[in-house]
Amino acid sequence: MESLNSLMDGFGTALTPVNLLWAAVGVLLGTAIGVLPGIGPAMAVALLLPVTYGLEPTGAFIMFAGIYYGAMFGGSTTSILLNTPGESAAVVAAMEGHPMAKAGRGAQALAAAAIGHFTGGMIGTMLLVVLAPTVAALAVDIGAPDYFALMVLAFIAVTSVLGSSRIRGVASLLIGLTLGLVGLDQLTGQQRLTFGSLQLADGVDVVIVAVGLFAIGEALWVAAHLRRTAGRPVPVGRPWLGREDLRRTWKPWLRGPFLGFPFGAIPAGGAEIPTFLSYVTEKRLSKHKEQFGKGAVEGVAGPESAASASAAGTLVSMLTLGLPTTAVAAVMLAAFQQYGIQPGPLLFEREPELVWGLIASLFVGMVLLLALNLPLAPVWAKLLRIPRPYLYAGILFFAAVGAYAVGGEALDLVVLLVVGLLGLGMRRYGLPVLPAVIGVILGPAAEQQLRRALQISDGSVTGLVNTPFSVAVYALVALLLAWPLLRKAVTRTRAAG
Amino acid sequence: MRLRTPFALLGAALLVLVGPPLLTPGSGSDTGTDIPGLRFMVPNTPGGGYDITARTAAKNAEEAGLTGDIEVFNLPGAGGTVGLTRLVGERGDGRVAMSMGLGVVGAVHTNKTPRTLADTTPIARLTEEQDIVVVSEDSPYRTIQELLAAWRKDPGKLPVGGGSSPGGPDHLAPMLMAQAAGIPPKEVNYIPFDGGGELLASILGDKVAFGVSGVGEYLDQIRAGELRLLAVTGAERVPGLDAPTLREAGLDTEFTNWRGIVAPPGLTDAERERLVTLVTKLHDSPQWRESLKTHGWTDAFLPGEEFGAFLTEQNTRVDTVLKELGL
Amino acid sequence: MTTPPPPSPRAPLRDRLKARSELGVGALLLLLGVLVLTDALTLDVDVSARGPVGPATVPLVVGCGLVVVAVLLALDVLHGGRGEAEGGEDVDLDAPADWRTVLLLVGVFLGFAVLIGPLGFPVAGALLFWGAAYVLGSRHPARDPLIAAVLSLLTYGVFDRLLGVPLPGGPLMGVL
Repeated sequence: MESLNSLMDGFGTALTPVNLLWAAVGVLLGTAIGVLPGIGPAMAVALLLPVTYGLEPTGAFIMFAGIYYGAMFGGSTTSILLNTPGESAAVVAAMEGHPMAKAGRGAQALAAAAIGHFTGGMIGTMLLVVLAPTVAALAVDIGAPDYFALMVLAFIAVTSVLGSSRIRGVASLLIGLTLGLVGLDQLTGQQRLTFGSLQLADGVDVVIVAVGLFAIGEALWVAAHLRRTAGRPVPVGRPWLGREDLRRTWKPWLRGPFLGFPFGAIPAGGAEIPTFLSYVTEKRLSKHKEQFGKGAVEGVAGPESAASASAAGTLVSMLTLGLPTTAVAAVMLAAFQQYGIQPGPLLFEREPELVWGLIASLFVGMVLLLALNLPLAPVWAKLLRIPRPYLYAGILFFAAVGAYAVGGEALDLVVLLVVGLLGLGMRRYGLPVLPAVIGVILGPAAEQQLRRALQISDGSVTGLVNTPFSVAVYALVALLLAWPLLRKAVTRTRAAG
Repeated sequence: MRLRTPFALLGAALLVLVGPPLLTPGSGSDTGTDIPGLRFMVPNTPGGGYDITARTAAKNAEEAGLTGDIEVFNLPGAGGTVGLTRLVGERGDGRVAMSMGLGVVGAVHTNKTPRTLADTTPIARLTEEQDIVVVSEDSPYRTIQELLAAWRKDPGKLPVGGGSSPGGPDHLAPMLMAQAAGIPPKEVNYIPFDGGGELLASILGDKVAFGVSGVGEYLDQIRAGELRLLAVTGAERVPGLDAPTLREAGLDTEFTNWRGIVAPPGLTDAERERLVTLVTKLHDSPQWRESLKTHGWTDAFLPGEEFGAFLTEQNTRVDTVLKELGL
Repeated sequence: MTTPPPPSPRAPLRDRLKARSELGVGALLLLLGVLVLTDALTLDVDVSARGPVGPATVPLVVGCGLVVVAVLLALDVLHGGRGEAEGGEDVDLDAPADWRTVLLLVGVFLGFAVLIGPLGFPVAGALLFWGAAYVLGSRHPARDPLIAAVLSLLTYGVFDRLLGVPLPGGPLMGVL
């Protein structure tokens, strides 16, 4: 176990007082910035990059890792408390976390998220240590047909979040897919549904859609039906996870990484699809399905764990291949280059001290973050005790700040408002908002991979099923589709016998 | 209670009106190259080529003490034309500049945007970079000639991967190659990827027959033997790389990508001069020299009006090439 | 979480009106579908696409899907199907919808989008928060504007000064 020895050396580097200090500073800064609306990990890392310039590379990257994970922890805080996710990986956290917070279980939601990030990050980083070379070699074998097969699987999974009325769920999904179509076609560069506006050429950002549908839509809907009589503030409830919560969350925490890590490592993976798949899985497996959409703690624990593990997976391909699979990784790659260090196949040989120090500091950062965030959870949750008008005015304010800060375009605010009104209408007529968000995430990705696969095979449809991986996924899809029929057949034969 | 309201209103108004200027540190003595509040716009995503150029230039300028903080921000979209349109919209603002390159020239053509680079104030060309033709180490093609022979036989079956959308540098280069090799450009099976990361994975995983990319991007993978370098696209060989130019391989064409900086239209002469001076001083700084070396960029400094003339010439070239390609 | 109350039997007219208005959702979906289809059909499909899936294929599928769903939804509504309005802790579905508040909020938000350029972020942001809080029923003439101003200025300071995310400072920038 050569890598374990190197890791021990890494801990030697990471645990020196100076580097420990940088890790702590990074973690604090990352959490503080990540909590701000509209600022996800990628932007946090890019913004704080200059802070690290004064340090020598090892210290700088240790601080960097702290910022990265800290921003992920902080990001779920705004999702849960204010319903305003700062980046796509935190969208799922808002879905169950915010209803929990509104029901006075904000502290539990935050704690479930924090521990989820912790377990996901820990398991993910361990997998990084043990599997890095293997995973990296496998990751490049995943190509367009495989991605497309995964997308098909994800679309099958969408059926379980369509809500009580199928037809309204599908309508919502189609609205999302339509929003996803807006922008330049990625393969031919033609404008679709942009109406000649260049600002729309890059499509509607999924964060804008999520914040619009979730935060603005809900604020407007509440405004239309505000309970004027009850001046009762949001109950704060018990600060810690109870025995019942723990019984419901420990499995999601442990399952999350096994979805998150592999998706993080593959080139077009990222955190959106694994968090969503984790959510769907937890809903399927939960004994409390009826609570989903109204604040099910499993729906926070699993996806958050998957998100952090996906971040660790991202580091695998970035460190070993020099392959940035997410925006954060791209920024970190640029940071490495600022120091004249080229991540890639030769990095582990050239800079062992730096790499292993960095990996060890990921473990250290995780522990620091958990120690920082668990006690903070009840404190954050108290924020919701402020009077209703301030709470919803604050949500509108921060949603607007987030949307404007990203590009500095007033048009983004108008788009946000339009999506918010859409969210209002959907709430009024019982169209679930979640399928729409999923549509925006999955639609463009699925189309791009489908067409790329066909292009690579020179137009032949066999190009979609020419890898063992894709065939295996399609077999799984077929099994899932046939499952209800199979089960019926089994029960029928049993009843007959 | 009644009486406090006007005071509260007054206080609030004072806070939001007077607060911001007070929060902002004084602009200080405005001498020479210092441009307070200067911002670099990057028209593509963090980690991309223009991004690294802009961030490196900003950092070097700060280190060399030429100016205060330069803020670098990304406004990606539509091959850089979203950023370009925004820049043209900032007419008369002497405190913003955009990092750009040949890709933006192409994107203006393919997107048929109303705003073009002719609308901007050219500041300087900074670097140039050849493209490379690479295959994975398991690829059956050991030399550029072998690749070309197979490509001529069945262009559709040899997908070419590149890191830019149609009209961008990694698209133009294989099209020019095809033209010189006698393959109708329309038959080239070009597959665009989102930047260098996904492209690298596709080359390593043999998803595409060969890849075209900037020379600096994959130096390490080439040195580690994971990628095989078949050719460079420029006029001369790249020092330290063992690969022929296209011309040596019998293709009568050459192609070089470049990067530079433009500013919004409608600047006063003084404002334009200040930006050009800043970039010229940056170019002369030891910090920039060092950066050129670490990134493997070739210095191609061309300031002010000469850069403007160069832009016009490039514009015409891209236009004719893309027209010939039927785009 | 309280479960939404069962539809009250006391207002059959209102229910019928609501059912009628839900047909509007179907109409909107149909309109959207037609829009997507028209846009898809005007695309230039000839551009170097290989295989059966070109730039217009997916829009065509989505557009057709929208049209089909619009029809199915209309049929569902005509057969008595009803979308269940979303309940929630702060939502009182028994009270009639207060669209005036919604319109005012939309106005406040649009005002922010318009004013942020000329007046700068701190002023526009404070007006957004103050206006929204007022519309939502906060009546503290002295406290509300002060909270709004401090929140807005703090946000400006953190984003613009500490983080370097540019936000417009207002008309007095560069004057003082």
